[in-house]
Amino acid sequence: MSLMSQSIASGILIGGLYALMSLGMSLNWGVLKIINLAHFSFILLSAYVTYQLASVYGWDPFLAIIVTVPLFALGGMALQWAFERFRISEFESLLLTFGLFIIFESLATSVWSADFRRIDSAANPYASSSLTIGPISLSIPTLSAFVLAIGIAFGTRYLLEQTHFGRAVRALAHDREIAGAFGVNHRTVSMQLAGLAGAYAALAGVFIAMSSSLFPGIAVEWFGIVFSVVILGGLGSTMGTLLAGVIIGTVGAIATVVWGPSTAPLVVFLILIATLLFKPDGLLGAKGGI
Amino acid sequence: MADLRFTGIGKRFGGVRALDGVDGHVDEGEILGLVGPNGSGKSTLINVLSGHYAADDGSITYGEANLTDLPPHRIIETGLARTYQIPRPFSTMTALENVSVPFMFGANPLSPQTARESAMEWLAFTGLDSLANEPIDSLNLHQLKYLELARALAARPKLLFLDEVLSGLNPTEITASIEMVRRIHSSGITIVIVEHLVRVVTELASRIMVLDRGKVIADGDPTLVMQDDAVVTAYLGKRSKRAEG
Amino acid sequence: MTTTNRNTSLITLAFALVLWFMPSVRETLDFPVFFLLFGYSLFFWIAQASSWNTFTGFSGYFSFGQGAFFGAGVYSVAVLAVKRDWPLLFTFLVGGLVAAVIGLIIGVVVFRLRKLRGEIFALMTLAVAFVMASVARVSPAIDGGQGVPVNTVELPEFLGDFPTMIFRLGLIVATFAVITAQSVQRSRLGWGLFSIRDDEDVAETLGVPTFRFKITALLLTAFIAGISGAIHSLQIGYVTIEDVFSIRVPLFVILMSILGGTKHWMGPVVGAVVVVTLNDRLNRAGFQEISDLITGGLLILMIVAVKEGLYLRMRARPLRTAVGFTAGLVIGFALGALDESLITLVAYGLGIAVLAVMLPLSWFARSEPAVTDDVEEVASHG
Repeated sequence: MSLMSQSIASGILIGGLYALMSLGMSLNWGVLKIINLAHFSFILLSAYVTYQLASVYGWDPFLAIIVTVPLFALGGMALQWAFERFRISEFESLLLTFGLFIIFESLATSVWSADFRRIDSAANPYASSSLTIGPISLSIPTLSAFVLAIGIAFGTRYLLEQTHFGRAVRALAHDREIAGAFGVNHRTVSMQLAGLAGAYAALAGVFIAMSSSLFPGIAVEWFGIVFSVVILGGLGSTMGTLLAGVIIGTVGAIATVVWGPSTAPLVVFLILIATLLFKPDGLLGAKGGI
Repeated sequence: MADLRFTGIGKRFGGVRALDGVDGHVDEGEILGLVGPNGSGKSTLINVLSGHYAADDGSITYGEANLTDLPPHRIIETGLARTYQIPRPFSTMTALENVSVPFMFGANPLSPQTARESAMEWLAFTGLDSLANEPIDSLNLHQLKYLELARALAARPKLLFLDEVLSGLNPTEITASIEMVRRIHSSGITIVIVEHLVRVVTELASRIMVLDRGKVIADGDPTLVMQDDAVVTAYLGKRSKRAEG
Repeated sequence: MTTTNRNTSLITLAFALVLWFMPSVRETLDFPVFFLLFGYSLFFWIAQASSWNTFTGFSGYFSFGQGAFFGAGVYSVAVLAVKRDWPLLFTFLVGGLVAAVIGLIIGVVVFRLRKLRGEIFALMTLAVAFVMASVARVSPAIDGGQGVPVNTVELPEFLGDFPTMIFRLGLIVATFAVITAQSVQRSRLGWGLFSIRDDEDVAETLGVPTFRFKITALLLTAFIAGISGAIHSLQIGYVTIEDVFSIRVPLFVILMSILGGTKHWMGPVVGAVVVVTLNDRLNRAGFQEISDLITGGLLILMIVAVKEGLYLRMRARPLRTAVGFTAGLVIGFALGALDESLITLVAYGLGIAVLAVMLPLSWFARSEPAVTDDVEEVASHG
């Protein structure tokens, strides 16, 4: 029983990380109508940069944030600029970023090789530290990611609902032309939003570097989880994404305990298929509505 | 006799009732004009009758055939065809290829080769034969509207819905298009025409049906109908509202 | 849209017949065995890309599911021929059928729901491939995570030695795939699919049985991809889930088709020949990572700049293509490519020809169809 409760607790926490990985993707898709597979590359590269800073230059892994967040926020903005420049449709974005994804993966391979890389335990004291509550122990990196994900989800919701920027974004998600008529400069707003999505990818990457081993092919393995969270949560829905992340994390953890670790992806993909078939607008029924 | 009959047609979009219990009929050989203010449901009615949308309520029969639950691709086999208000050509095909597609389907499908030959006749009928092998993006609006017509005729209809074929055209083009509609009608095709330009409809149609807010408010002889109180209010009421706003 | 007629398929068949005797004349003409294996590689990718394009290119429904159909074929042989000793040739057919059944299930479920269009359909097919990989990994009867040695299976003797056998099997499937694509393109099915790609609602109201046509095309795609995958299991030798269900197969069929052009059966063929040849040479020269970079870069370049694909562009600029190819051959010859292999020389020719048709055009201007403006104008009036 304690195994089960431990797994569920870990599942909920890892769900926070899933939400963090998925939130940027969801905003990109829901608001900007861009399916950005390069988002996965941003997470991957951010993780590798964190690894590099911590292992080679001896930084505290948390400090990597000051490098990766601005770096990938800029990356997101640059990409969005290019999408606007070449008038890439929603559909073409999928293919185009597929090409980018391949390029980034091969870049990562040539810089960091195809072998497993992990931050040395000396440089990463957090990996082995955990918070123990009764019979349950919670790993610090995952716990931090979970807390941060909640903070970011609520922060983003506040940003989108209460600020001028948020109103512009919602207008954009609803109807680009009408938004333009009300003075929303969609190029500026969408670049800002893409920058935000890039920053979230960077944060997710930092926590992944702190908690697990890296290899270039790992990014493909995130496809299933992130798309499940994005679709289940509803495109562009911050609270939906958070909720969906926790659900996917928990269900995956339960499946691991009950049927073995290799069944977790199967369950996740079945959830994705079921969502696409029966609830394509996602859990909270948001459709670009945020 | 193949008459189109529809009763109790209802169609909702979200909370809006676009059509609310519409009854009516189209008799073989007539030109029926369908008019009404913006948003009155004219285009929706054509979309429902041609199978583009499924009706939420009501039933449709054409001659012996019950169209109510027929999938759209079967409806055209019974002899109903339509044009789109905003031309929707197949954008990667040439003009000729656009018109040859309907010949390959429907009640008596032709092989792609024969379909091309037959398509050429309708292109010539609409005066587009010189553009047969041009890509779609080299056609102007007037030509696209004619292409819509040629493509609908290629489905060999007995009854043709024309959804605002004149909108966006200049006066000379309108005159030519009216002539075209007359020629189509005289070849034995029943016509339902939806049009913004009420004067054109009264000139062409042998009968007029007026829709307002999803309901039929008048039906009958063109000149009489256009003097009907309810019709006048539907049009003028809207206009006075617009003046206030 | 350009038409293709019966003669095209007869020519294809005649061409295939000539290729059939390649292995027989290998010793007389004195070319290395590697040519046969390289030929097989071409055939395999031509079959995969053509089959993918028959559904996706023609109908516009983007499928990431090629890996699922391919994988169904591979694992049909791995399970039935290796683990259960079914006759090998029969398991090829079964592989095609299993893939077709999976295609049928996807089609019936997905096409019933009209909401599932565009990118959602693409995701759905991706998810199906992932599910299949997970099922295979979990189930010991299929794989169980250990991999299956297909190289232990006994090969039918009448097919000759391995290079000859795989060359001819690949040739049969590639020919079948290409002729299928040609037949679809010139038939009512093809025209129906093109009209679905351009405007599905209009197609349906003009009498195109869209549901049936989409299912038919998806079945053809899945069946060919399945058979081709079944044969490919012999080439792989030791099949593992990671390899079979990797992103490689969907990536390459998409790249090849988009590179060559999706609107004509010849597009995927051109794309496959270019990508396989250049990829093979780059890998051989030790530039594995560069070849991935080029793959990704080409995909981006095509989407941004050359939407109609290489084939239609080459046909529109035959002179430039010919000059480019010849120049490539000359340059390659001068650099001593022929000393290494004939394939290297051809790779030079293809590479320069591709550059020649692509380079001098303005990459950064997208041509806007003039119609859109008119239509928008009407829409705002109406």
